[in-house]
Amino acid sequence: MMILLIGGSGCGKSTYAESLCEKNPLPRWYLAAMQPYGPEADARIKRHRALRQDKGFTTIERYTDYASLVLPARGTALLECIANLTANEMFAADGAVSDPVDRVLNGVDALNRQCEFLVVVTNDVGSDGISYGASTAAYIEALGRINAALAARADTVLELVAGIPILLKGELPE
Amino acid sequence: MVLILGGFGAGKRAYVQSLGYSDADMSADVRSDAPVLVGLEEIVRNDPESAKTLLPRLLEKKFVLCCEVGSGVIPMDAADRAYREATGRLCCALAKEATAVVRVVAGIPVAIKGELPCM
Repeated sequence: MMILLIGGSGCGKSTYAESLCEKNPLPRWYLAAMQPYGPEADARIKRHRALRQDKGFTTIERYTDYASLVLPARGTALLECIANLTANEMFAADGAVSDPVDRVLNGVDALNRQCEFLVVVTNDVGSDGISYGASTAAYIEALGRINAALAARADTVLELVAGIPILLKGELPE
Repeated sequence: MVLILGGFGAGKRAYVQSLGYSDADMSADVRSDAPVLVGLEEIVRNDPESAKTLLPRLLEKKFVLCCEVGSGVIPMDAADRAYREATGRLCCALAKEATAVVRVVAGIPVAIKGELPCM
């Protein structure tokens, strides 16, 4: 079972994703794709950690290459988030830029094979109407393609708006 | 309180007008006694830190209108990021308490919580 959650900043994606995972069996893996790159990211990571406390998650920090990740045991996993993972796969530390689509999708496929219940969190970044430089435009397009491919794989797709899940595909999980 | 969300120019005010409210019923000042609060996102932008403290006052309104501002590329500017996130979190808190949440898309009101208010 794979559920894709999409939504903008501060829409309640994480809280909802965690509540879905809580209803599913242990072990619960929290797969963190966000790189700690400064005080703001540190604060965000701290906030997410506090939210996950007592929800039975074991955190695995991994910024790229989910295709070769071996989960220690089968269970429930929450991958957060595809917008970060796509950026990490696309923009290397040495400045190199490469196409992230296959690496992200292969990574999610590999995870999905190792989980009974997988929740994938992603972001809608293509709706602000602003024209960006070439590399950011390429990132927006890659993430849009990845989101569409993930939605095709997912059993259920939900958009989160002000904490309210809106069903886009499949059935609302119980 | 009914929370009305939607993109910029989506038709949020026109929807409230269709329910019988006039411009005189709308205010962008949270302290006003007008039943309709418009432009919540601008109020949050001016002071993202204290957004949460607005909650009790906002719950006294009949309608609260807020632009959805959290989609799109994460802004380079820290203040822009803080404002987007604070607006989103305040809307989550409002939605929890609201009797209904309406999302206006291309002028079409879509009830995402409760029932569409009618005239």
